[in-house]
Amino acid sequence: MSDATDTAFDAHIRTLMAWHFQEETGSPFWLDKRAGLGFDPVTEVVSAADLTRFPDVSAELRTVPARALIPRALADLPFRVYDSGGTTGSPKRIVDSAARSRMLAWARERLLAVGVPAEGNWLHLAPSGPHVIGFDVARYAALGGGIFYTVDLDPRWVKRLLAEGRSDEADAYVQHLLDQAETILETQDVAVLNSTPPLLEAICARPRLHKLVRTQVRAIIWAGTSISAESLRQLNEVFFPDTAIIGIYGNSLMGVAPQRPAAPGDAYPCVFEPHPRTTRLQLVDEAGDLVPYGARGRVRLHLVAEEMFLPNVMERDSAVRIEPSAGGHVDGLADVQTFRALDDVRIIEGVY
Amino acid sequence: MGAALPLAAGPPAVAPLAIDPLVSGRSVASADRAPLPSVLGGDLADVGTAPRLLALAALNEIRDLADGRPVDAGLLAEAARQFAEGTVGGETPGAYVTRVAHATGLTATAVRQAVHDLVTEIAELPATTAAELPPTGLGDGFATRWVPRGRVFAAVMASNHPTPNAAWVQALFHGYSVLIKPGSRDPFTALRLLRALLAAGLPPAKAAFLPCSRATGEFLLGAADRGIVYGGDQAVRKWQGRASVAVRGPGRTKAVLDADLDDAVLGHLARSASVDGGTRCTNLSAVLTTRPVAQVADRLAERLSALPSLPATDGNATLLVADRARGEQIRARLAELRTELTDHSARFEPGGTVVPLPDGSVLLRPVVLSADRADHPAVGTELPFPFVVVAPWSPADGIAPLRDSLVLNLLTDREELVDAALREPSVRKVTRGTVLPWTAVPGIPHDDNYTQFLLEPKGVVAAREPAARP
Repeated sequence: MSDATDTAFDAHIRTLMAWHFQEETGSPFWLDKRAGLGFDPVTEVVSAADLTRFPDVSAELRTVPARALIPRALADLPFRVYDSGGTTGSPKRIVDSAARSRMLAWARERLLAVGVPAEGNWLHLAPSGPHVIGFDVARYAALGGGIFYTVDLDPRWVKRLLAEGRSDEADAYVQHLLDQAETILETQDVAVLNSTPPLLEAICARPRLHKLVRTQVRAIIWAGTSISAESLRQLNEVFFPDTAIIGIYGNSLMGVAPQRPAAPGDAYPCVFEPHPRTTRLQLVDEAGDLVPYGARGRVRLHLVAEEMFLPNVMERDSAVRIEPSAGGHVDGLADVQTFRALDDVRIIEGVY
Repeated sequence: MGAALPLAAGPPAVAPLAIDPLVSGRSVASADRAPLPSVLGGDLADVGTAPRLLALAALNEIRDLADGRPVDAGLLAEAARQFAEGTVGGETPGAYVTRVAHATGLTATAVRQAVHDLVTEIAELPATTAAELPPTGLGDGFATRWVPRGRVFAAVMASNHPTPNAAWVQALFHGYSVLIKPGSRDPFTALRLLRALLAAGLPPAKAAFLPCSRATGEFLLGAADRGIVYGGDQAVRKWQGRASVAVRGPGRTKAVLDADLDDAVLGHLARSASVDGGTRCTNLSAVLTTRPVAQVADRLAERLSALPSLPATDGNATLLVADRARGEQIRARLAELRTELTDHSARFEPGGTVVPLPDGSVLLRPVVLSADRADHPAVGTELPFPFVVVAPWSPADGIAPLRDSLVLNLLTDREELVDAALREPSVRKVTRGTVLPWTAVPGIPHDDNYTQFLLEPKGVVAAREPAARP
């Protein structure tokens, strides 16, 4: 990505700086910050490179009243709150009225381009409730006229069970989810399955359920956690050889970055690209500078949308930086993993 | 198979050896790679690891073809011979020994001894089976037949020592198909042993070699009909009390020294603690004594301090080496222990416990600490090198401080203590006098009757001849 030549995004930034930092239109959250920034965002932030001048405010999203995040110009619209995962303590909150739906219309086109059928019903076997992914998948189904099936899934309970060493209970909960999925697949017609890599692994370990998915579902979308290269190959080549396997990278804050179509010379089987109109995912080194193409960096998010402005957010993921696809302006990401400082890479073993 | 590593000390200059899963005799190149560090620094091998889905695919394949038929003892003996003496998959015995030494820090001498012991254990399998099963002929048409309790066996190995790999060979011998998660630092032993078995004629569908994470190993243990897990407290805790899994955790081998510490006894205790660099689960880790604690600890520390500091590949080496990062972990753990216990080794070990060697590795010197009471929580601490805690014991303390011992060495004339130790469920083996903890013959259980863990009896009652009916 060359920020200097991404003129459409720079123009979008200038428009939205005025929007978010004018008294009549901006949110109380950002208007309160303007005086303490040490620069004038309206006149001095003119391109993507300037977004790093903002502080990373994402930690404040755990405590700020959500209403303060809503731009005044949109205060009459209905909003709702979505959470980040929130393993412990208070989750980060975002507000959404219509912006996410606009992004999802774009995302759906991207999914169709990589093999998701345009029509057919969807089974969402992943979190919903405060987790925005449930909204996203319901929207994809609706946009194609498909029925949306789902199962209740509380990921925080599973994480808590695992953190407390109660893996048997976590396994039992997973089987309870799969029982319900099996019931749906036995009686309903499902064309697209959206789930997480660990649940897909659990599906593969149940022969009857695996067969139902393999013979009925035409596309499987995975999201929510990373997946190893070999696991992806096993899904594609061994467990679901006749099914499209498609990844979406995303979270509540950044939105979604669906897998892009494969391109000649791709070194990675799955490359994600974010919504070009509003979102940049930069892969940076410890100094905050972009890493070269083909190198691994930590994910830094800039979200510049009418409803939310989240510049300069350091995410807890790392990925390999991939050149924009033909005609595109945004970098791709491949091999996303949970970010670890370099000195954590060696696995610490116990006595044995 | 990649190029053989240079045998001389020093980090390998060539690309590290590639190791991949081996399923039904096929090498399955994994896209997931993990470096295997060398104690000398740098990487010794590039290991293809099996994520859960690859392990599941292997499990499905192995289970589909599992027939429960035993493997001939002659085939196992031939494979053991190849393992010890042959060039297997391009690897000479010397290259194998060097790799294990550089990966685990065991001395080359200890690895060669382990190969010998592994071959012996495999050769003794028929004798071990005979010794661990009761007679089956009950006369007059009544008999029992001992058959596998399932079809698929999972082995989650550790890297502290090669010999425990005999455990999954024993499962093959009795008819199981096996899935092996090798130790993360020693994938070499299981791979070489499996290749030798395949070369000797083992049906390929009988086994899968799956380097993988601990989580994937747990998945295999949970999915198999029977299994065995080696490892530290954290690795084995989940499997305690599960009938389908044999648990081989820290041994916490102890000695009761209720006799004068003459030179023979001192030499016996030092050997118990230090053979194979203190890596065996049966190496002594605590001495409880009726004699003056400080004196016993000082003399043991002094005796152990005579062991030389040599690189693992030196023929006279006895002590474990490690890479620098592992050395630092151990240094930190010892610093914690020294805050609550008295150090008796410091004055005999002027170079400290973690000693850098010229070849890039660090050597772990023996450590003897003492506690002021028998029930001190540090009694039973097990570290992967010669490490002994000496604590006072009197008859009034009873059996409680002696619990949780894989082997309990009783240097005492108190017959009532011997009896109490044998009746104590958490004491798994008792040795008397200056007998090294691992001393055994076929039929002496290491920890319960492993043959009967693998096999179960079924009744077979045949109709008697009509003429014999009353």
